[in-house]
Amino acid sequence: MGWLPELRQKALVAAAVAFIATLLSVSAAYAFDELTPPAAKGCPDCHGLESGFTSPTVAPTRKGPHGGYSAGTQKCGTCHTVHAAPPDGVLLLPKTTIKDTCFTCHDGTGGNGVYGVLNARGITPAAQHRIEVTNLVPGGDPNGDAKTKTFSAANGYLTCSDCHSPHDAETVSAFAGDRARTSTDTTFPLSPATNRLLKKQPTSSPWSVDQYGSSWCGGCHEGRMYGSAGVVNHPVETETAGFYYDNIVRVTGTDTNTTEMGTLGGNNFGYVMPITRSAQQSGHYPICQQCHEDSRNIGDVSPGQIAPGETFSVTTSDGQNAANNPRFQAFPHESENAYFTVEQNDDLCLNCHIPPG
Amino acid sequence: MIAKLRSLRLTQRQAFAFLAIILALALIALLIYLLWLLSRGGFTSGGGAVVEGLRPIYVIDGPGEGEKPKFDRPMGVAYGKDGRIYVSDTDNNRVCVFNGRGQFLFEFGEFGVAKPLPGGEMSWVEGRMNFPLGIDVDDEGNIYVADFRNDQIQVFDREGIFLRRFPDPMQVVGKGASGQDGTGIAVTDVAVWDGKVYALDSYQVVVFTADGEFYAQFGKPGSGPGDLDRPNGIDVADDGTIYVSDSNHNRVTAFDQTGEVLWTLGEPIGEMAAEVEYVFGLPRGITVMSDGSILVVDAFEHTLSEATAQGDFVRRYGRRGTQPAEFNFPNAVDDNDDRIVVADKENNRVQVLELLK
Repeated sequence: MGWLPELRQKALVAAAVAFIATLLSVSAAYAFDELTPPAAKGCPDCHGLESGFTSPTVAPTRKGPHGGYSAGTQKCGTCHTVHAAPPDGVLLLPKTTIKDTCFTCHDGTGGNGVYGVLNARGITPAAQHRIEVTNLVPGGDPNGDAKTKTFSAANGYLTCSDCHSPHDAETVSAFAGDRARTSTDTTFPLSPATNRLLKKQPTSSPWSVDQYGSSWCGGCHEGRMYGSAGVVNHPVETETAGFYYDNIVRVTGTDTNTTEMGTLGGNNFGYVMPITRSAQQSGHYPICQQCHEDSRNIGDVSPGQIAPGETFSVTTSDGQNAANNPRFQAFPHESENAYFTVEQNDDLCLNCHIPPG
Repeated sequence: MIAKLRSLRLTQRQAFAFLAIILALALIALLIYLLWLLSRGGFTSGGGAVVEGLRPIYVIDGPGEGEKPKFDRPMGVAYGKDGRIYVSDTDNNRVCVFNGRGQFLFEFGEFGVAKPLPGGEMSWVEGRMNFPLGIDVDDEGNIYVADFRNDQIQVFDREGIFLRRFPDPMQVVGKGASGQDGTGIAVTDVAVWDGKVYALDSYQVVVFTADGEFYAQFGKPGSGPGDLDRPNGIDVADDGTIYVSDSNHNRVTAFDQTGEVLWTLGEPIGEMAAEVEYVFGLPRGITVMSDGSILVVDAFEHTLSEATAQGDFVRRYGRRGTQPAEFNFPNAVDDNDDRIVVADKENNRVQVLELLK
């Protein structure tokens, strides 16, 4: 047993080494001051830039904290909080849900509201993209049936960030819509155009698109696309054919069959298809938004045309001018009309079709 | 019965067991009481360490009783001359009143739509509200509430009894304002001074007499000096200087009584680069303190910013968080000599604090 004292000695040395190592590591840990940010460090230094950014970019104005982050940006902290997020929240955001986080600012006091503008006028919405209450997508299955998909909110429900990128990453090209949110939006159709932070590839979409149009809607509502297997849908034009929100065929004025390529936003000229079809229309179909947009009057005195007294346009932001048409600019969040149609029943069909006889 | 008790003889073991049962029952009762106390809203002591120049005094998270014992996004606060605290409990469409010690006194208001669209339900009666925001109290104790989505201001006496409303939300105000359909005003905040009511519209200041007669208006959309973009805070100094938090322009502008610009502090933030130094992230509520300096709520910096009456930035107070003297998208502030009260919106509470200059 002569080896025992030697073993004990080794054990003592090992214990001493371990003790000193522990002390050193503990003191190193205590020496780290987590409250003082490292010099010249920003959020992207550790987290990297948002997906889709390969280099720091400079934001265009009017996007607030949404996007255009440079290395060393200080704006992450506007929404994300490292130490003060709710315990049942996500992504270190200030509220428990993404919807509530968005509504923190988008409540109508900094621009016009998103949800709730109809209720504020005593109207119960007839259609909504309901967020954080469902993940059942009408026409979500390629065969035309409704389909349950997995989105980003709890229970896989649809939420704001499934369609919008709060970081303006991988978003569609800007388009000149007719929804104005701030006082700087004073030229209609809107100039400068915005992309509404719409993702090129919304959650669950099997494809990515560059423009806002039918192909964008079809990413979720696959079974509503023309030519989808097992179901007959009204034909719609796709991005592949070069037709999207900012590049549709529209009449150039009242009482005319003359058309031009342009944006759908700003007035009601893009919602009719004159008879006889123009060369630009020949062989092409409408995009989804030419039937599904904010509810508005298209004109029905001259089917397929806009009569002089039926010219409607947008002159100011959301609902401030009662003569504006559409009156509310809440699509695709909520609508006075069922199915988000611009008009209802036969009025809708007669914008493009004249009944025979 | 008493004789029986007197004749009762317990062993030492039995006595200890009896005492243990009594103590256990008392402990359970105490725990139940504490759980009940914590689950209700109302006053909680916020006393604690000084945080970035703010000493917590107490926190209120709601009336602590009734159907809605807790606040839901409180966005307006005001001190009365008598030390009462008035809170616009925005998402609950009510005003809650507390005494100077933070004890709940009473509440008034519920949801009501004052300007429904055709087919919509008119649910407003005197005292009902639709997203109440800013609030102020005159020398007589009358309470002025910015009834935002009803495009009007409502006035109540110090007991919460409805007195009057103005402007008529269905009528054009002055040369026009940003109320829905172009009538009424999209009022985010009010300030009462020298018999007049100063109200914020989306792009201007509208002045009324205390009786509600239109008096003056100034400001317009744009980005030049004096132009406004969704201002959310207004207060008037003893010398009549009008201070406005020009929220979307990230600045504060001081006007004289004729609407001439005296100075501007801050400028629109165009880009997100770290190199850009800015004064305000998103200025919202504002108050003139007893020494004439001004205190501005910065919702994106989650702080309070102090500036001199001459428009020089002094310092920030508080920081982001959920503890006392920390904020999460604060929205409004008012001053009462040695104390301030802050509507800490996304923490769903109101904080009473001491400002340590």
